[in-house]
Amino acid sequence: MFKRLFLGTTNVDFQKLGSRFYKIFIIEFILFITIILSSLFGIFTLNLSVDFTGGTTYQLSTTYTDNDINDVLNNDILQVSRYQTFENSNTIIFRAIESSQEIETDLLNYLSDKFNVATSEIDFQRVGPTFGQDITEKGIRALVIFITIIALLISIRYEYKYAFIALVALLHDLLLTFSIYIVIGLEITPSTVIALLTILGYSLYDTVILFDKLKDSQRTFKIGSLNKEVLNKTFNEVLMRSINTSLTSAIPIISIIFIGNYLGIEGNLSDFAIPLLIGIISGTYSSIFVTVPFLSKIIKTN
Amino acid sequence: MKRILKLLFLPILSIALFAYTYTNQIQPKLGLDLQGGISVILTAEEGTDKELIEQAVEIMRTRIAAFGDVQEPEISISGENSVLVQLPGITDQEKALEAVGTTGLLTFRPVLDSSLNLGYSPALEVIPNPDDPDNPTVNAPEGVDEITGITIDDDPDKISYLLSLRDGYPVIYELGPAELTGSDIQDALAVYPQNEWIVQLVLKDDSAQKFTDLTKKLASFVGEQRKLAIVLDSQVISAPGIALDVNPNTGITGGTAAISMGNADQGESANNLAVILRYGALPVSFERSSIQKVSATLGENTLNLGLQAGLVGLIIVSFFLLIYYRLNGLVAILGLSSFGALFYSVIALLGEFQGYTLTLAGIAGVIVSIGLTADSYIVIFEKLKDELKVGRSFNFATEKAVKEAWNTILVADFVSIIASVILYILAVGPIRGFALTLGVATLFDLFYTRLFIGNAVPTLGFISDNPRFYYPLTKKDIADV
Repeated sequence: MFKRLFLGTTNVDFQKLGSRFYKIFIIEFILFITIILSSLFGIFTLNLSVDFTGGTTYQLSTTYTDNDINDVLNNDILQVSRYQTFENSNTIIFRAIESSQEIETDLLNYLSDKFNVATSEIDFQRVGPTFGQDITEKGIRALVIFITIIALLISIRYEYKYAFIALVALLHDLLLTFSIYIVIGLEITPSTVIALLTILGYSLYDTVILFDKLKDSQRTFKIGSLNKEVLNKTFNEVLMRSINTSLTSAIPIISIIFIGNYLGIEGNLSDFAIPLLIGIISGTYSSIFVTVPFLSKIIKTN
Repeated sequence: MKRILKLLFLPILSIALFAYTYTNQIQPKLGLDLQGGISVILTAEEGTDKELIEQAVEIMRTRIAAFGDVQEPEISISGENSVLVQLPGITDQEKALEAVGTTGLLTFRPVLDSSLNLGYSPALEVIPNPDDPDNPTVNAPEGVDEITGITIDDDPDKISYLLSLRDGYPVIYELGPAELTGSDIQDALAVYPQNEWIVQLVLKDDSAQKFTDLTKKLASFVGEQRKLAIVLDSQVISAPGIALDVNPNTGITGGTAAISMGNADQGESANNLAVILRYGALPVSFERSSIQKVSATLGENTLNLGLQAGLVGLIIVSFFLLIYYRLNGLVAILGLSSFGALFYSVIALLGEFQGYTLTLAGIAGVIVSIGLTADSYIVIFEKLKDELKVGRSFNFATEKAVKEAWNTILVADFVSIIASVILYILAVGPIRGFALTLGVATLFDLFYTRLFIGNAVPTLGFISDNPRFYYPLTKKDIADV
């Protein structure tokens, strides 16, 4: 089995599987929409970091007890809305609302006294509510321009139907990652936004390599349009590359998560790595399970 | 022979650059998030003139230089109306924010009245109480503190009551809306021409007429209304009167003015006033939209995490490729190591000569690019496998695989490069660092694919052209297909 997979001589009839994949795809899509809608009605909550909501964070490493944390939550300097602790390290992050510079400094000094940590060792962050909005707006603008250019490029090199498939696969990967974020309640930070943009790149990269292979197979069979043989030959052969590429891409990212966990660092790099890993897996998945049903439909209409 | 030269070009280049950076001890310039420090984003109102923001940046730079002991501060315009201030190594937040300066809006406002006339703030209306002469009824207009008679939330476009402490005793002035601002000033100097310190004020050409009109109006008054208040951050710094010999019909012309500062303090107050007039005020007011402070410990931890993860990732990927693709895997390992050395050197050199700083997002871009680069090898090796499988000779198969894979990789990398360029142009802050490293890595990947992999794989034919050294292919497998 492995050897055949490796040699690309598996005999999976992707054309036949197409309609089954299509059903899976529809179910997935309904699921994503349900999750996103339910987050609007408050069943799941979108966990946005201070960068989007505005506020302050104080991060410090110290030994602490539950009483200490309760004291901080009930302090009368500044309203501390949430806190976060970690299993493998004694880092605590407190999140508070925005206030004047003096009051924010008062809380910094209070935490410094309370936990016996120098103020210079407490990581402080303050974000106005406009900052996250700014990043999101610019991100969306970049996204729209990027997608337009890529759609044109794919239409020119392959055909416009392929551009449509590539964008559906892309949408699938973004929605999947986003849905997982909503369900698990992972915090969405600017790093997450960067990661989502990277997923975009990965997803398209994967799809483009696949289309190229399809074009290649068409040349081998000396035919102008897609048919069942081309589809099956291509996908049987390309399976191994897809698996290998996602493995080599995933290994460095998994090592970020593991080493970060081992060192007890729950920082921005992990914020970046988790959505990226989800995206890579989803990208590999969608380059087969999302493209095949649509390609099958093209064959049928041909 | 030509092929060997092409093949060796990039490895030799990478070794040479790496040796150069190593011997000259050039290391990548680390961003704030990797070495600790304070980063502040100041945002002006939307639609603020770009020139004004550039001016503000200049003023902040001067202030930081005067503040001292900040190593390599970076102040730059980011986006359309924001200024990014980065102060590496600084952990005392109060001090740092003082250095960039709070908004500090400098305005010139005509004096309408002052507490020198009444003995109390002109804002207050005091109605004597016949029954209790010690407690008269006091009325204050809206927005004015009822006890002190000072405007609480000053708006330079409206009448305000502001305090001055500069003359040794408090004076509250009633001020008209601002007529001139700090951006109208060309220069200010403290000079000592004759027995007295003077602040010589030079206005910009465009603003000279405005100043003349203003002084014309003021010169027609007597007493407090003849004064022009210099206001910084809702505090009256000085309120010099227009000299009595100024003709109300002509005003002060020529775009220059002299402010007499007396002789009491060896020019200290004159110097202070000149500095405030010159640099004291930013021409626009900024909102602090983001402050981030990273302690040195967290920065170091993050850097180590990034480096270790990158290294571990590279080693595991190398082993995987070696086991999977055998001799070809060796090509991949050599290529990836050379790629790593070149990339490191270029980032270090960019930091040294172009001021590029490696941030966390940049490291993320590097780690992602390991996967993308490895993929180019995989695409070529898989293509070669397909060609060998159908029974083609090694030499023919490699040439064909290299040529066809190049087209595929070109298109796929092109998508990545477009993504990087668009992200770099449109995005702000951390996303830019990510886009730059990803873009540079993809560009290198193209060079490596064309020059290194494209020539290394066919050269392997000299060592052995038996497919078994490359893939688990037996004669039987080949016959099968």
